[in-house]
Amino acid sequence: MDILLGSIVAGILLGMVIALVALGLTIIFGVMDIVNFAHGEFLMVGMYTGLLTAQATGMDPLFSLPVAAVVGFLLGVLCYVGFIKFLLRGPMVAQLLGTFGLMLFLRNLALLIFGSSDMSVHHGILVGKSFDIGMDIIVPATKLAAAGLSVIAFLVVWLLMNRTKIGKALTATALNAQAARYMGIPTERMNALAWGVGGGSVTVAGALIVNFWAVNPFMGLLFTMIAFAVVALGGFGSVPGAFFAGLVVGMIMEIPGIWDFFTFTFDIGWMADVPMTSLKYMWIYAAYFLIMVIRPRGLFGWKQ
Amino acid sequence: MKRGIMVFLSLLAMAALLVPAGAFAADEIKIGAIYPLTGGAAAAGRELRAGAELAEEITNGVMADLPMAIAKNSGVQSLGGAKIKLIFKDHEGNPTIGADLAKKLILDDKVDGILGCYHSSVTKTVSAVCEQYGIPMINGSSTSPALTKRGFKWFWRTTPHDKWFTKDLFELLKGLSEGKVKGVKAVPKGDLINVASACEKTEWGSLVTQMIELFAKEYDYNLKKTLLYADKATDLSSEVRSLKATRADVFLFASYTSDAILMIKTLKAQKANPKVLWGQDAGFETPEFQNTLGDDIVGILTRTVFLPKVVEVKKLAGQVNAMYKAKTGNDFSGASARSFTGLQTWVHVLEDAGSTQPADIQKAANNIIIPGSELVVPWAGIKFSTSGDEIGQNVLGSGLIGQYQKGPDGKMVLEIVYPFDVATADMLYPFPGY
Repeated sequence: MDILLGSIVAGILLGMVIALVALGLTIIFGVMDIVNFAHGEFLMVGMYTGLLTAQATGMDPLFSLPVAAVVGFLLGVLCYVGFIKFLLRGPMVAQLLGTFGLMLFLRNLALLIFGSSDMSVHHGILVGKSFDIGMDIIVPATKLAAAGLSVIAFLVVWLLMNRTKIGKALTATALNAQAARYMGIPTERMNALAWGVGGGSVTVAGALIVNFWAVNPFMGLLFTMIAFAVVALGGFGSVPGAFFAGLVVGMIMEIPGIWDFFTFTFDIGWMADVPMTSLKYMWIYAAYFLIMVIRPRGLFGWKQ
Repeated sequence: MKRGIMVFLSLLAMAALLVPAGAFAADEIKIGAIYPLTGGAAAAGRELRAGAELAEEITNGVMADLPMAIAKNSGVQSLGGAKIKLIFKDHEGNPTIGADLAKKLILDDKVDGILGCYHSSVTKTVSAVCEQYGIPMINGSSTSPALTKRGFKWFWRTTPHDKWFTKDLFELLKGLSEGKVKGVKAVPKGDLINVASACEKTEWGSLVTQMIELFAKEYDYNLKKTLLYADKATDLSSEVRSLKATRADVFLFASYTSDAILMIKTLKAQKANPKVLWGQDAGFETPEFQNTLGDDIVGILTRTVFLPKVVEVKKLAGQVNAMYKAKTGNDFSGASARSFTGLQTWVHVLEDAGSTQPADIQKAANNIIIPGSELVVPWAGIKFSTSGDEIGQNVLGSGLIGQYQKGPDGKMVLEIVYPFDVATADMLYPFPGY
């Protein structure tokens, strides 16, 4: 039973962080209908920011979150003002290829600066520590903290979107940009803000993840794909949908653990031979595919 | 004046035609060294490069106090004292890049031979290019058994391979049950019967998994699970939970540097508690693995072909190790000792061949016998198989199993625990756990 419960707990904790990763993607899409292929690279920037800030200042990587948020916000705004704004004039395919180019640019820039070797956090208040929460279920402290802080970051963004004038202006821009402009909402600024908030939330997620995952310039694509699956599942543009779908995807990533529970509890030989851990990402993409076929606008989607 | 210049140029051209081509070739012998200098195995790549460079320095200089043939004279004597020139290339752990680099080295740099490549998957593609162009390749550190089962005519491997190493591990487990291990009372076989493995899924790790399956069956151990994971994985949590779920007594790994570090960190975070934790060399032996993980590696076993403790039983190893340490700040590792031996073998082969013609090198390599007394690694020597199902494999190699222990001075050392007759310390059993 400890295997099953351990996997469920791990899935929930990871799901909360994944939800934060996907949040930025859903905000940008919700406001501007742009699919940001460079989303995973923003996460990579957040990871490097967290790591390097911790190394340079000697403080714990968890305290580098504000730095990562500022870097992500500025990166998002800069990308919008300097690049995306111009893409909006072109057709949809130009926007897709444009963010794809941004992805390649950021990846290769990281490769140039940091090289292709993995870098990871080795020291920190929580690094390497874990709690036994009973029934032999081990919870790494870094993942627990990351999950908790992800929920807080999520709440902050949710409050910003739903309880402030700026949030309402963003929603108005998302619903009908032209009408919003007539009402006096500076939609250009709202677009830049969406990119800023989107970039800030994903770089915060990166600074949390670097506490337990290694970073290299190539890791963005994996997270872009996971974030796409989360956003598709939760519904493009839906903030609560991203949170719910993040948890679902976290659980999907733990299918190997649930499989192991049945394998070793009931001692089923053939199940042990199935390479479930090698297939752990396959289930996410299968879920992505299924949701696209069955309900293209996702579970909580409000945009067609 | 113009006529004078013409005469001078004509004389120069005639001189160039009259001097035999071999005289120019004797100035320098170019060996292409293809290693992973960036990427997940970059730390091992630095070791490999430093090992090969040291062998190059010893060959090109004269070090009379070193009892090695390559140190006696400057350069390769049979080629008029021609110096060895290593041309390093970085394959990044990518077989396709490795093959492209091999082509460039052969066609553009006109190398006389190739040394490398560490990753078995890269060695596989690079050796295929060498075979295609008829250029000799000596491999010092790739251990996939399949590499010497292809019947290649231009490929020779000095290191023992994973079939031997994995067999050594099961001999150690058997020895634990039979009370043969220094400092450990006989452990009932039932306490060690359940085995689980996690290996990276390139050519090397996949074949190590096959070897583990083979020997688990042969030695009658219960293999609960075999996992394959991507060597560039940034998270191994579900793999470790899966290993823990098996409740196996023995965890076996084949990992490169960054994934080996990540694996141990995750095992610690998940408070894994096997009785034996064994790594198939590579990442488990790099200085980066030791420096990053500190005391968390006490009790971990790794197979290797060289341990600093070898210097206690082999004077030559101690002398060369001291030079290596002065150069890099680290002791020789399995990777650097083998790249050193790889280039050393190249020099012996060239000395015997007396030529840089591929056919002469091929003949010399097939007939070479280097005695163990010449080597830093504790092998009986180097002699390549020329018949049977393992063409080009050194038949005189052997392996060691070391265990990380803290010495009285607080420093981490790898103590030899296998072969049992050369053990340098009592084995820590069971693994202390996390």
